[in-house]
Amino acid sequence: MLQRPVHPAFSTLRYALILLVVLFAAFPIFWMILTSFKPPGDIMVSPPRLFFTPTLDNYVHAIVDKDFLRYVTNTLIVSVISTLFVVVLGSLAAYSFARYNTGDGHILFFILSTKMFPAIAVVLPYFLIFRDIGRTGIGQFLQIGLDKPGALIISYTMFNLPFAIWLLVSFFQDIPRELEDSARLDGLSRLKVLRKVVLPLAAPGIAVTAIFTLIFCWNEFLFAYILTRKTWSTVTVGVESFFTLQGILWGPVAAAATLAVLPMLLFVLAMQRWMVRGLTFGAVRG
Amino acid sequence: MAATYATAGTGRPTHVARGGGMSDRAFAWALIAPAMAIILVFALVPLGYAVMVSFRMADLTRGGLREFVGLDNYRTVLFDQSFWESIAVTLKFTVAAVGLEMILGIAIAFLLHGATHGKTIVRSILILPLATAPAVTGLFWRNLYDPQFGVINWLLGSLGLPEPNWLGDIDIALWSVVLFDVWQWTPFVALIALAGLSSLPREPFEAAELDGASTWRVLRVLTFPMLAPVLFLVLILRTIDSLRLYDAVAVLTRGGPGTVTETMTFYLFRTGLKLFRMDYASTMAIFFLYALLVASVFALRPLLRQFTERAQAQN
Repeated sequence: MLQRPVHPAFSTLRYALILLVVLFAAFPIFWMILTSFKPPGDIMVSPPRLFFTPTLDNYVHAIVDKDFLRYVTNTLIVSVISTLFVVVLGSLAAYSFARYNTGDGHILFFILSTKMFPAIAVVLPYFLIFRDIGRTGIGQFLQIGLDKPGALIISYTMFNLPFAIWLLVSFFQDIPRELEDSARLDGLSRLKVLRKVVLPLAAPGIAVTAIFTLIFCWNEFLFAYILTRKTWSTVTVGVESFFTLQGILWGPVAAAATLAVLPMLLFVLAMQRWMVRGLTFGAVRG
Repeated sequence: MAATYATAGTGRPTHVARGGGMSDRAFAWALIAPAMAIILVFALVPLGYAVMVSFRMADLTRGGLREFVGLDNYRTVLFDQSFWESIAVTLKFTVAAVGLEMILGIAIAFLLHGATHGKTIVRSILILPLATAPAVTGLFWRNLYDPQFGVINWLLGSLGLPEPNWLGDIDIALWSVVLFDVWQWTPFVALIALAGLSSLPREPFEAAELDGASTWRVLRVLTFPMLAPVLFLVLILRTIDSLRLYDAVAVLTRGGPGTVTETMTFYLFRTGLKLFRMDYASTMAIFFLYALLVASVFALRPLLRQFTERAQAQN
């Protein structure tokens, strides 16, 4: 749009409002991180304290007493493996849809509709199915069962594939077909064309999809809550476990919450250029 | 690009490869087979299981799956007042949260679009709430909402405004969940609307300027119609997510006080895993799934149309 000459008062008002929006968006996260460095005497006091002597006690409590890093490791293992599955299976399928229009859009639409599944509607069957698989020999061997990583990995792969495929299709569609055609004319097999021409060109798109999938897996709550007990709980469930009957220790909670959220905050900042495209399933190319 | 292609092409005579003895068609289907297998098995098996349970008596406190009861569970659920109340709560939440997010998000997009300084940093800050797990930040919002020591009430108090009991007051609790959701998701609407605004073509606006069209007229005739597809998509994605809302309720209010914030998903969860009535829970899941699928089949047509248009443009 054109920039019309604006009255300076409007310009000031505009920036004042933007500042307000920024404060509203950033404050809860800022306050959480701030609280994680507060000694107990400076939390839950009136008026709220902005200045205090920072301490690492809350982190020590969260990490040493509550073993919070175990939740972080669990989350990392489950999220990374799920993301690998999603990206590999998703790329193959997305290429097929983008290049060969497999299923004329009908299958792709079916896949998109499974993305609309409310997790809660299938979580009870998942619970029962994984409980039963976990009691079999093969379930124990593959670590699939309640409170086992395999159950979460399968659930996360299933729940992120539809989104990943849609996003990847939009990236594969951007690759000019002529490149593939001439590589084929040069005598490369279809699989070689995919491996040596298409995948390298699609690498940025695949990376974006991988990071989005990782964030979704990392932040997932319901499946982790239902399918794990103690050993394989992830960070979202771990933070919840800080709530005791005696009350809430806000310092350690804030420390654990910061540990749970910080990696994804950094990830998102690193990839902000792709946020819009990722969040709209590739439909809006911001 | 050129480099990759050159390396890939060397050392082979120029003729069309056999392609591993497969037709294009077979190759294309082979590529989607693994992903489809996972989706089919892990979407349809649980679904089939839920359907099966919905026709049986399944009270886990009395030993799991029992006899076939026909449509009894469906009748029970349809006449269950709590079920309808949870639907009402869900709809109320969705209309309020999505409505606010759309209005505020679009307004923020316009604010930012007209700004000349600091756009990049503002965008980076707006992204942050989207990256956080609602189950984690939602929990911390309980600290902000604390009636006695929370920052929000301190701020209201120093402005001389009333200090509500955010999560404990039956008239306010649902709005507190809405406010949290607005915090987390308004940036999503804003960022995408901003991307839409920035990618609008310049020419029509220049022409309108020359014709001396009023700002309001430009908005009504040009900006909004051209932005409509993007906004529609955002609306759909937000609506579907809000209807499925679970995490925020689970950590902020657990459905309370009483059942005033008990959404459809939370009631289903409570029935299945706290009251152990898998049969009723499965039946509700099927109603819920059906409603969402019907809604999304209509609503997501535009996404599919975009895909086919691009597919055709390539051929």
